[in-house]
Amino acid sequence: MEDEHKITPGRYTILQRQGYTKLYKVKENGTVMIRHFTVETQNAVNAKFFDLFQMKPKGNSRKMCKLERVTSVDDDIKHTGGSGNDNRNIIDDGTSQTLTKEQIEELQDGSKSSVEIVNQLIANSKTFSSKTGYSQEKYKSKKQKKYYEYIYFRKPTIRILAQMFYRQDPTKVLGIRTDDLSQILAYANIQTDGKYILFDSGTSGLMTAAILNAIGANTSGKLVHMHPGNECQKVAVQAMDFPQEQLSRCINVNIYSVLRCFYQNSEENMLKRKLPLEEEEVVQKKMKLDDDVEEGIKEVVVATEEVEASNKNEVSNGKKTPGWQIENAKACELLREGVDGLIIVAKEHPASIVKELTQFLNVSRNMVVFHLLREPLQDIYIDLKKSLEFVNIKVSNNFVRNYQVLPDRTHPLVNMNSGGHILHGQKVQS
Amino acid sequence: MSFDGCKTVVTEGDTVILFLTVNQVYAITAEKKTKNKNGDLVPYVFQTPYGALKGEQLIGKEFGTKILLSKGWGYILQPTPELWTVALRHRTQIIYTPDISMITLQLELKPGSVVIESGTGSGSLSHALIRSVKPHGHLYTFDFHKERADIARQEFQDHGLQEYVTVYNRDVCCNGFDEALDGKVDAVFLDLPHPWLAIPHGVNSFKPEGGRLCSFSPCIEQVQKTCLKLREHHFQEIETLEVLQTQFSVQTRRLASLEMEYLKNPKEENDGDNKCEKQIVSTLTAIPPLSQPGHTGYLTFATMPPIWARSMKTIDDLDNDDNEN
Ligand SMILES: C[S@@+](CC[C@H](N)C(=O)[O-])C[C@H]1O[C@@H](n2cnc3c(N)ncnc32)[C@H](O)[C@@H]1O
Repeated sequence: MEDEHKITPGRYTILQRQGYTKLYKVKENGTVMIRHFTVETQNAVNAKFFDLFQMKPKGNSRKMCKLERVTSVDDDIKHTGGSGNDNRNIIDDGTSQTLTKEQIEELQDGSKSSVEIVNQLIANSKTFSSKTGYSQEKYKSKKQKKYYEYIYFRKPTIRILAQMFYRQDPTKVLGIRTDDLSQILAYANIQTDGKYILFDSGTSGLMTAAILNAIGANTSGKLVHMHPGNECQKVAVQAMDFPQEQLSRCINVNIYSVLRCFYQNSEENMLKRKLPLEEEEVVQKKMKLDDDVEEGIKEVVVATEEVEASNKNEVSNGKKTPGWQIENAKACELLREGVDGLIIVAKEHPASIVKELTQFLNVSRNMVVFHLLREPLQDIYIDLKKSLEFVNIKVSNNFVRNYQVLPDRTHPLVNMNSGGHILHGQKVQS
Repeated sequence: MSFDGCKTVVTEGDTVILFLTVNQVYAITAEKKTKNKNGDLVPYVFQTPYGALKGEQLIGKEFGTKILLSKGWGYILQPTPELWTVALRHRTQIIYTPDISMITLQLELKPGSVVIESGTGSGSLSHALIRSVKPHGHLYTFDFHKERADIARQEFQDHGLQEYVTVYNRDVCCNGFDEALDGKVDAVFLDLPHPWLAIPHGVNSFKPEGGRLCSFSPCIEQVQKTCLKLREHHFQEIETLEVLQTQFSVQTRRLASLEMEYLKNPKEENDGDNKCEKQIVSTLTAIPPLSQPGHTGYLTFATMPPIWARSMKTIDDLDNDDNEN
């Protein structure tokens, strides 16, 4: 119980500085970049999540910081010069701040706290006293936010990871916004005793982690995670630090490789025969992969060959069955039994993936397809209608709006973004 | 009985979803007899727009198969919380799937989580909460309306979910949540007219390691009071948002296209007929509804930090005003 909340070496944490979050794997003597500082995290090791740290300069270095445990944030901003009633006398001609750019930069060398910096800025501002109380507050918090030097560590959760990836770069998660993720999971009806297929062409492991999280620890649910490349993306899965028992119920397979196994029974037979993979078959598979994979993912193909080569070595040396073949065989077994949910999040056109994978979905179970664009989902909608295999098919997207809620200053946030599109439906016996 | 886990065959007592069209989705019980108004047992018959369906007929059928009605047919499906939300009988205003999904994700629920909900209302949200936390977790749901609490309790029993949920008939604003839950809860959800009155009680319920809170309110004044109360009680990451979903109708539209090529050629005497001939072009499109809900409620989320960080003074939610003027 105690350890669960400790910042122990080897574990992934979310480093939080106000609204800014960053995934950080704790090392005994690690460093992490925060703003333009390299921060040594040594002093946080074995502290607890949510313990507060202040970034303090290390020695005379302008670039290095260390962390110091504190119990509260110093926000004692001093200003006694009064305030104006409105901003009629404020002229923004860029001369109100008497400190030069160089002087301000010097303030930020790390030896001053954010409060000290803000106090300096205020003391040297010609117009601060004539700003309204409201503008002064805003100025202070804006500046303090900029120079804020307090951080804490916390345990990664699906919510935090989803928000973090999306904020850093939506393409890291194929454009899946938090609301999209939440609805993919809901419409897929993830139950703790279910078996699911996920096709994911690259969400940094977020989709896998989210489904695995919903399946839960010490349950019987299983996930077959199909990916088009060689290695599956798994940052989010690692960050979630699932127990081995739970992790082992997620079977990661290459979609081409597992389908070949399914149709041609090769790995399964091979497992039975306990014979090494035949040379020819490996070559054949590589070529097939080359054919299947689009131009854009050529690097992945190269990597695949490397891995297959090393797999081959393993086979010929130790006469052991390579891991990926065991995974394929395990996955094929689940495919034969049929699954309780099919989730497809693709950057490709998902029509062929849908066509191929729906055969594995049991009736009365849900399929969810996410795509950033609506048009591919329209195509699938028409295909499904024609097939008569699905009912209750819906295509939707969301409008999400965040609000600032403050006394007398409540309004929607000025910036917003647009999410992707979701198609879902239930399979029936046609 | 059919809400707990994955089921393939309908057994007696199961709730079954009858799907006729997207707008005709019904919940039916697979039972031979039901009590009529006088309390006598009579055969259970459900009237659909396509003819009557005997509850008995469903028993032994497989979920996902066709069922014949006298004037048509439909499909029977195993209920999911999402289908239930569409089919349930409203006893109060209910929360719908787009908000529900956001709530379960942002409350960071997973199997094993312990969650408090108030009020229970029609149990629309409750079913999704239970799915997220079972089999090891638990939902404690509170409603001060005795009949609603009783019906909900019976419904969870009928749905085979009773071991994952406890229903209380209690005024949470006056009396708080059960003291027995103090320090035991991962998440608190409020859908109340005065959520700010329940927040001080909710604080005590959180586990020492903290957790998440959500309040759903239709009015912005409720949100403002709630946010003030959350700050007062040292919640962090206070965030308010709304989610609106648009469902598209996918259609192939046939549109007329004007022919103008012929205008480039000199006019001929005998082609008077095909001059204004129009071409038809097919185009695939997705059309939003003519009118749809433009507001459901504001969702306010917040984090209760762990006990060792609760009294700590931070300025994490400094004025996040991004309005530059
Ligand atoms: C809008 S309904 C909740 C609907 C529910 N979220 C759903 O999705 O079905 C609000 C419920 O809160 C209950 N309620 C209102 N004030 C309450 C209080 N102080 N304590 C307990 N329940 C209360 C009402 O009886 C009502 O059933």
